[in-house]
Amino acid sequence: MAAIILDSISRDFGSGIFGVRDASLTIDEGEFMVLLGPSGCGKSTTLRMIAGLEEITSGRIRIGVRDVTRLAPRDRNVAVVFQSYALYPHMSVRENMRFGMKMRGTPLAEQDKRIKDAAEILGLNPYLDRKPGALSGGQRQRVALGRAMVREPDAFLMDEPLSNLDAKLRGEMRQELVKLHRRLGKTMVFVTHDHVEAMTMGDRICIMRDGRIEQVGPPLQVYANPVNTFVAQFLASPAMNLIPAQLVAGADGMAIAAGPVSGPLPARQASLYAAAAAEPAILGLRAEDLLARPGPSTLPVSGIVVTREALGAENLIAIEAEGVTLHARVGRDLLPALGDRITLHADMGQMHLFRAASGAAWPRGA
Amino acid sequence: MLRRAISHIGLIIACLSVLLPILWVFRTSLVPEHASYSTDIFPELTLENYRLLFGDKNFGTNYANSLIVATLSVVLSMPFAAMTGYAFARFRTGGRIARFATLASQMLPPVALALPVFMLYRAAGLTNSLTGLTLIYAAINLPFLTWILMGFFESIPEDLEGAAMTDGATRWGAFWRIVLPVAAPGILASAVLGFILSWNEFLFALILGGSKTATVPVALAALQTSNGVQISQVSAGVSLAILPLLIAVHFIQKYLVQGLSFGSVK
Repeated sequence: MAAIILDSISRDFGSGIFGVRDASLTIDEGEFMVLLGPSGCGKSTTLRMIAGLEEITSGRIRIGVRDVTRLAPRDRNVAVVFQSYALYPHMSVRENMRFGMKMRGTPLAEQDKRIKDAAEILGLNPYLDRKPGALSGGQRQRVALGRAMVREPDAFLMDEPLSNLDAKLRGEMRQELVKLHRRLGKTMVFVTHDHVEAMTMGDRICIMRDGRIEQVGPPLQVYANPVNTFVAQFLASPAMNLIPAQLVAGADGMAIAAGPVSGPLPARQASLYAAAAAEPAILGLRAEDLLARPGPSTLPVSGIVVTREALGAENLIAIEAEGVTLHARVGRDLLPALGDRITLHADMGQMHLFRAASGAAWPRGA
Repeated sequence: MLRRAISHIGLIIACLSVLLPILWVFRTSLVPEHASYSTDIFPELTLENYRLLFGDKNFGTNYANSLIVATLSVVLSMPFAAMTGYAFARFRTGGRIARFATLASQMLPPVALALPVFMLYRAAGLTNSLTGLTLIYAAINLPFLTWILMGFFESIPEDLEGAAMTDGATRWGAFWRIVLPVAAPGILASAVLGFILSWNEFLFALILGGSKTATVPVALAALQTSNGVQISQVSAGVSLAILPLLIAVHFIQKYLVQGLSFGSVK
């Protein structure tokens, strides 16, 4: 068990192309850290740099007390679970799990014991003598996990390990991985582009874009306080509604003019964003903050329904008003027809405000 | 039904057009010299041609020579080809130039090399020796096998090596314990192709060899004498020459198809 410290690491692919640029991150001992971002954001490259499979062009990496920057992968004592699982096709499940221990000279009795324990935990006992080719996707996934577990590494590195599973299995494996993490107490770094995995599994999440780290923090905290429009949009589905806005200071407080959403701001937001009146801004409203019924701090928004998705437990509705499309997540009792004109209520107590020029968030307070 | 019959007849004709000459050669090897050009299928059966071949013509030595040089040249070139192919596939060693040079060496007509190689061999005292033939065949095989194996290694996911290396293997260990076993079908298939290449080689065997080291193709060519072509004996020799290839292909057919489809055809 060990902390992992990335000290301004970069991966320069040459001719000005960076996989990762100047990323610094401290992953605490025993922490479940999720690296989240769209394809090509550098999250997998970061993971491979920790594992030693990708060259580090500048910066340093420490695992525990050791500086591993120049160490070979085998000397870092980390285990990697790959997206493709990367099981050795010519070896049985048992041999796959044994390989790492054999390479490290673990005594045979100990090898057998660990394989038995891991197979027990992961339900692999019936498959120990099969080749990977004779296993289903979910079973292969478990073997990949088992192969990592028996090594008893300092840290687990997982590169989108759930993305090849079907939706139901993915949900189950999410839970199992969290359980496994609690049970083993090892540092885990988990790469994904799925915000649900990030929100549900991570102790903290690290959102990346274009090789840079955008924001690091506990999932709910990042969700509540995204530092910019990218993080705000990436961390939810439907993504946060963003509307060009202008704040106006009036006699009786602040008012906002953001296309279809306009009117006075609640007192707390008025004081919070007083300084924002001078420049163009972007109003951010999460889908769940467009309500079906008016509340104490809501502003009405009327529009034509352009999409409706009934999910059973809730409905996803998009309305178009003044050229702006707004996505709302509402209760199952509100299911208008396409083309209906309806009025939703934007809860301005939950609003986010970003600078139009940079996309950076205005501080929102706790 | 009719459609099926027509397509079957088409396929049978196609198969026969390939197989008939071979079958006819086999038939000719079993009939006496005087009947070899007759149109009777089996005027009279005899093993005389084979007896003459092995008795008078010393074909057994030629056969052994061919087996030795073809096998050893593959054994000799395969480790180098595997390592070079791996380096090309994984590390882009030498870049595109090295890859192109490897391919280009296959386009050079062998006869262009024959004379310089002969001069070299004479200076080194390697003419008329199996060692010399083995070396030149290994050299000819090397770029060919490298190219095929490169395709194979490229088709093996890099993550496998990543897994092996984080599991505690060195780069060499990952290559030896993971990549090579996974590439075994490709290696086997290319070994057979290399064997066939050497087995059939004629030019260098003729120029660099002598009576002591003549291989099967050279021995067969020698049966075309000034007194005419001893077609029955040639047929017997050709029948025997095909034999190891038939056996090899039979055993590795599965891998060969796989090898050709995802190794070389990249």
